[in-house]
Amino acid sequence: MPKSALRTGIAVIALLAAAPAAFSQDLTLGLRAGPDSIDPHWSTLGSQAEALRHIFDTLVDADDTLQLQPGLAVSWEPIEETVWEFKLREGVTFHDGTPFTAEDVKFSIERIPGVTGPMSMTLYTKYVDTVEVIDDYTVHVHTRGIAPALPNDFTRMFIVPSEIGEGVGNEEFNSGEAAIGTGPYRFVSWQPKGDLVLERYEDHWRGETPWERVVRKEIPDDAARVAALRSGAVDLINYVPASDFMSMDNNPQIDTFTADSVYILNVQPSVKDEVPQPIRVNGRVIDENPLQDLRVRKALDLAINRDVLVNVVLEGLGTPANQLMPEGFFGYTDEIGEKEYDIDQARELLTDAGYPDGFEIDFTCTNNRVPGDAVICEALAQMWSRLGLKVNAQALDGTVFFPAAANEEYTMAMSAWGTLTGEAAYTYGAMVHSKDPEKGFGNFNRTGYSNPEFDDVFVAGTQTLDVDERRALYEEASRIAMEDRALIPTVILQTVWAGKADTLTFTPRVDQETRAYEIHPVDAE
Amino acid sequence: MFGFIISRLLQAIVVIFAMSIIVFVGVYAIGNPIDVMIDPAATAEIRDNLIRQYGLDQPLWRQYLSFIGNVAQGDLGRSMVYNTSVTGLVFSRLPATLELVLVAIGIATLIGIPAGLYAGYRPNSFSAKAIMALSILGFSVPTFWIGMLLIMGFAVHLGWLPSGGRGDEGRFLGISTSLATANGWSHVILPAINLSLFKMGLMIRLTRAGMVEAMQTDYVKFARAQGLPDRQIVFQHVLRNISIPVVTVFGLELGSTLAFAVVTESVFNWPGVGKLIIDSILQLDRPVMVTYLILVVILFVIINFTIDVVYARLDPRVRLGGTK
Repeated sequence: MPKSALRTGIAVIALLAAAPAAFSQDLTLGLRAGPDSIDPHWSTLGSQAEALRHIFDTLVDADDTLQLQPGLAVSWEPIEETVWEFKLREGVTFHDGTPFTAEDVKFSIERIPGVTGPMSMTLYTKYVDTVEVIDDYTVHVHTRGIAPALPNDFTRMFIVPSEIGEGVGNEEFNSGEAAIGTGPYRFVSWQPKGDLVLERYEDHWRGETPWERVVRKEIPDDAARVAALRSGAVDLINYVPASDFMSMDNNPQIDTFTADSVYILNVQPSVKDEVPQPIRVNGRVIDENPLQDLRVRKALDLAINRDVLVNVVLEGLGTPANQLMPEGFFGYTDEIGEKEYDIDQARELLTDAGYPDGFEIDFTCTNNRVPGDAVICEALAQMWSRLGLKVNAQALDGTVFFPAAANEEYTMAMSAWGTLTGEAAYTYGAMVHSKDPEKGFGNFNRTGYSNPEFDDVFVAGTQTLDVDERRALYEEASRIAMEDRALIPTVILQTVWAGKADTLTFTPRVDQETRAYEIHPVDAE
Repeated sequence: MFGFIISRLLQAIVVIFAMSIIVFVGVYAIGNPIDVMIDPAATAEIRDNLIRQYGLDQPLWRQYLSFIGNVAQGDLGRSMVYNTSVTGLVFSRLPATLELVLVAIGIATLIGIPAGLYAGYRPNSFSAKAIMALSILGFSVPTFWIGMLLIMGFAVHLGWLPSGGRGDEGRFLGISTSLATANGWSHVILPAINLSLFKMGLMIRLTRAGMVEAMQTDYVKFARAQGLPDRQIVFQHVLRNISIPVVTVFGLELGSTLAFAVVTESVFNWPGVGKLIIDSILQLDRPVMVTYLILVVILFVIINFTIDVVYARLDPRVRLGGTK
């Protein structure tokens, strides 16, 4: 074939390929992960909630720093110790035209136990005892015990119309037959791990969204996602890898958007009498657990140079962490100052504790769950070796790490934790409170940390409906946990988005969600 | 022929059983999928309920027996992540992979075999040496890197072809395939080239080695002495004689590419089965992992069987009966 004919052929193919992307009211997103199902009650997965938020609404919404906002409910308050009253928004209709009423709320909540999967949504309804419909726009939720965090649980509780009836599951939702919500977009089509195609719903109560048609492409591979943006196949991508961030930041054709995430990398030192992996001094296994000594934990903390972690290891894509959640979250305390790096004081503390020559310890981390976990792991091991410890750092795949961590097989571990609800109870109840299956606390407490003082203050908080009193109790709990070095926070990870320059504006969210209706086009003319 | 099929079938059943046990034990050893999937804030009660609901509290042998029992009834299980049947899931992704692999193997064969024949026919010429040097590049440079280069070159800088994904589907002979549209072809061409390079290198080297050897043999000398033109000697006699190793490798490569085209599928975001299995492994979606690997075994058994039949066509000395 002559060269020119070949070139023409390729150009024709290229034109055909490029043609559909030309409409201005279209938004194409390249995202790392998408939903596993269109049934909004199937899974608690973050990327599931993010995607389905476009089709379905929740009673309570959360703003970009996770503080509560009205959603389908316009207001909520506890009217008795165990009764929450939700006032619903009037005049809202589902995509098929039926009006939204209290019956739909009751149906949605009661539907969950029957249809939810291994990432069980019963998590969000664990405090719900019964749902009582008072009138079309008033719902009373009767709770098991006092449940101050109920509105937070409802930020991912999607509402489906009661008329779809019981017995519909993933098949009906995935085909679109039952995918009817009140959200800003209608469902058009979806392929597992493929594209989710959405179309504007004109009658949404928040007003019209800027995009007529939204395609959420799932592109899990980092390099492929970046290539899709650079070649113009998508308008915006999420989770830009740190290695590409620098070049994109200097590229005039690309805008980057950076924000703190909810995820913090925490060191989890086991304080149990017997450690799962032996600790050695001068090559000999010792009987006691040095990590039980607060001075040792303080020494570990002081030996971490968080500025180096942020600026060198993460290339600027992080913020030093001084407690288990970012500033501004419900329960964050101002009483803890910035963490200091003081290797001399750390060595002194270690000597005082009886380990002048240090010890040898295993340190296990995840290596692919969040950006930078493996490199932070290695950097920490080096920082502690300056302190005189011999640290055997090992970064494992999440599929290996999490089951073993659940079995408490690690003496010292590190993984990321996100305070996804924006308030302290979520994190403290799971990771810091003593392990107590009966009360449902401490499921993720793998260190054996148990401080009655902390437990009392925290539990008092969970039993307090008054917002200010509860905040004060959680702040006190934060102080206790951090003084004890129950866990040692290292860095808050940042998330980066990147889009075609000067085409859109976007305020990044701390929960890392990419919401099409919060992205606005920049008018060129 | 009949005895051959029966013995092959029996072998296949034994292999599939052995494979299912290995996969099951291996997957079991990795750990409990619930611990990977569960939301951090879940209570111990929710966790225990889930473990019971999915039968993960049962001993290994009982889980295995109930799996085998379901398979015997034609039920290969439901995905824990998507809650759809595993067979449906695999077969919904298979057409995409088939397209990619067929185009890739097509490119590899159509370019690799003639190039290898030429390189073996004139082993000392400059172009033969150039072909051999390129073939070394083909199988020594990592696939993902070449993939990125292709994307950077053709999608980002030149903007001729899309950077990834599968194109529009059209209907061809009643089958829904993206190979029926121009847009589909524009999407498939880069990943197919990427996937074909390794195989092309392999084909070139195999064909060349066979060719060089065959050209020294007596039958070629006799044919030449008889005055047959070289074209006829090469295509009618030599090609047929060197086909057996080529067909063997072709078959194995076809199988492994179908099953594990995962690197190319990831780099080009191609919605095939390779990506499905990797995602399932990362999420410990046990039913999908086990079923998929068993389907792969079946695939290999079928391919090997086909190759044996092709052998008999190529070389009359090969007898399928297996006697003697």
